[in-house]
Amino acid sequence: MKTLLSITRRALVLGAAIVGAAGVTSAQAQDTLRFGLAMPLSGSQALYGQDQVKAAQWGVAEINAKGGINGKKLEMIILDTSADPQAGIQAVNRLVSVEKVPVFITAWSSVVKAVAPIANDNKVTELSVGANSADIAKLGDYVYTTYPLADIDITAVADYAATKMGKKKAAVLYINNESGTVGAQIFRDAFTKAGGTVVAYEAYDPKASDWTGSLLKVRAANPDIVHIQGLVSDTPQVIAQMRQLGLQQTVTSYSAVYNPKLIQQLGTAANGVIATSLAPDAADSPAVAEYVQRWKKEVGREPNGLPYTEYLHDAPYIIAAVFKKMEAEKIPMTGESFRKELMAMKTFDLPLLGKFTINANHTVNSPVYLMEVKDGKWSQLALVH
Amino acid sequence: MLSFGVIAQILWTSLATSSYFVLSAMAFAVVLKVNRLFNFAQAAVMTVAFYAAYTLVGLLGLPGRAGFVGALVASLVLSAAIEILGLRVLRRRGASTMFVFIFTLMISELVAYLAMLIYGTWPATVFPSLFWPATLVGPVAVSGWDVPAVATMLAVCAALYAFLRLMRPGQFMLAVADNPDLAELYGIAKDRVYLITMLIAGALGAVAMFLYGTRAQVQPTTSIDLLLFAIAASVIGGIGNIWGAALTAFVLALLQNASVLFIPSEWQGFLLYIVLFLAIVLFPQGVHFRKISQLFHRLFPRRLDNTHPKDA
Repeated sequence: MKTLLSITRRALVLGAAIVGAAGVTSAQAQDTLRFGLAMPLSGSQALYGQDQVKAAQWGVAEINAKGGINGKKLEMIILDTSADPQAGIQAVNRLVSVEKVPVFITAWSSVVKAVAPIANDNKVTELSVGANSADIAKLGDYVYTTYPLADIDITAVADYAATKMGKKKAAVLYINNESGTVGAQIFRDAFTKAGGTVVAYEAYDPKASDWTGSLLKVRAANPDIVHIQGLVSDTPQVIAQMRQLGLQQTVTSYSAVYNPKLIQQLGTAANGVIATSLAPDAADSPAVAEYVQRWKKEVGREPNGLPYTEYLHDAPYIIAAVFKKMEAEKIPMTGESFRKELMAMKTFDLPLLGKFTINANHTVNSPVYLMEVKDGKWSQLALVH
Repeated sequence: MLSFGVIAQILWTSLATSSYFVLSAMAFAVVLKVNRLFNFAQAAVMTVAFYAAYTLVGLLGLPGRAGFVGALVASLVLSAAIEILGLRVLRRRGASTMFVFIFTLMISELVAYLAMLIYGTWPATVFPSLFWPATLVGPVAVSGWDVPAVATMLAVCAALYAFLRLMRPGQFMLAVADNPDLAELYGIAKDRVYLITMLIAGALGAVAMFLYGTRAQVQPTTSIDLLLFAIAASVIGGIGNIWGAALTAFVLALLQNASVLFIPSEWQGFLLYIVLFLAIVLFPQGVHFRKISQLFHRLFPRRLDNTHPKDA
């Protein structure tokens, strides 16, 4: 009898604990509006992933500090993808099946593509923030990007070279992989459409460490401008060899090249290189200047990949704006209704990026900042809308 | 397009850039000849050599000489550790050739992964600047990197030749390479010779990687790509033929650079594998330059008669 009483008491305590816990969870669920963030926090890409997560955390904290969403807190559930598609699938499965979030953010093209079927099958909205593969716009109804895809900046730089800089003959040198091939085609088409002629169109092997042969062919074609569609690892070397072989033409490239390391690696040989940036710099916006200053003050340095962190910082503001509308109109918090409201709102006013529109064709409009190396520093050459 | 200037430029740049290919091919070939081992761990040694130099020069701001010495020391320490703690133990346990090969492969992957964890995948160079000023010598642009690289390669080749021919440890290496059991009967300590060979290969790999890292950007898997080139050169140059591997590495570098002038540039990367495939199919024992010469003389006997009347 004593044993039975003891078991009953224990069961009651346990039952109360479960009910209590459920009550707490329920209260928490009512007080917070949740979304997921699946980014690389470990592995080789963690250097960038961690800074991007920090930027998103700052965004969430700012929203909550200003009163949250109609009095409710915005909660971000962070999981690690290691920039690996398999780990990304595990993280997103957990966000969708266990955490039951209506929307999640992720990045890195391979991860964005790998988790897209989970988003589409479960009708949960996936926001890609930072990946730029052109395929992302075609991954399904529930996959959207808030980051401009590859064609926007390359088209802008080709058009600017032909129409504003008056360059008539271009040579295109590109790495022989998917991003290089597609980027080179975009440049060739845009430059030709703008009235220019592509006089040399040369691919190079992704494992190449010497480009003399290709550059001699470019030299023989005598172009006015050379567009290099390479990676951050090989583009500075191609430019160095170009200059060593006496090719002094203006070099254009795209957003991957826009980093301070290029100037450090090339010194004066970097002068005249034109690259693109898809987010405002500290000089363009007081809000960005303040944001960069905060990094220096709190972290002791500028963020790795500043433009990407700006997009991550502002992504929670997009989610908060949609949540706010859904809350106000008492729309159920599902991925399906989130997507519907996202498309209904379309345009957002963001703290760092400014006015921002997500298109129905799953792309975004963004101004392109053309940056040029002048006197050993990146400075803005033009702003192309 | 094919002017004297273009041909001269291709020849000169190929000679300069072949320096790291030649040295890494010799490193691979010397271990293959003496230790009879397909040493994939050479990639690990080269990776460690580069990141030692990068840490000292690129991160700590020490002069290039300190980086070179650091690369050399790091590669020698790792080479000795691989031989003493790994390969020697496996030999004593009678491990099969395949098992030893897998061990070296595992070491190279392990070190690449560790380098990724520590340094990330952002490409790095020994010196912060990649740009070497160039001087025009006639129609040929000669960069500030080219001459020291070619001079280093030639000096190292000469030193290795002298070591193998004139010094006793070098002669012991050749004896062990010819017949390890007979060499042991003559009192040559095989284990010691194997260790010396690994150290020489480590030093060659360190010099190769230092040269590479002062001209091009390096990622943790770059040395694995360089090793594939070294393997191709060793196979085509005749397995166990150090100088054949070195010569083949130069020819392959020249072929890759010059090929762009004749074929679409996207085929440039395939060329190495096409040459390797043909070499394995047509010359399974490697290309013996002496045999090619004999074949040439057999095919063109008259020319032989004309050239060397006394031999007829």
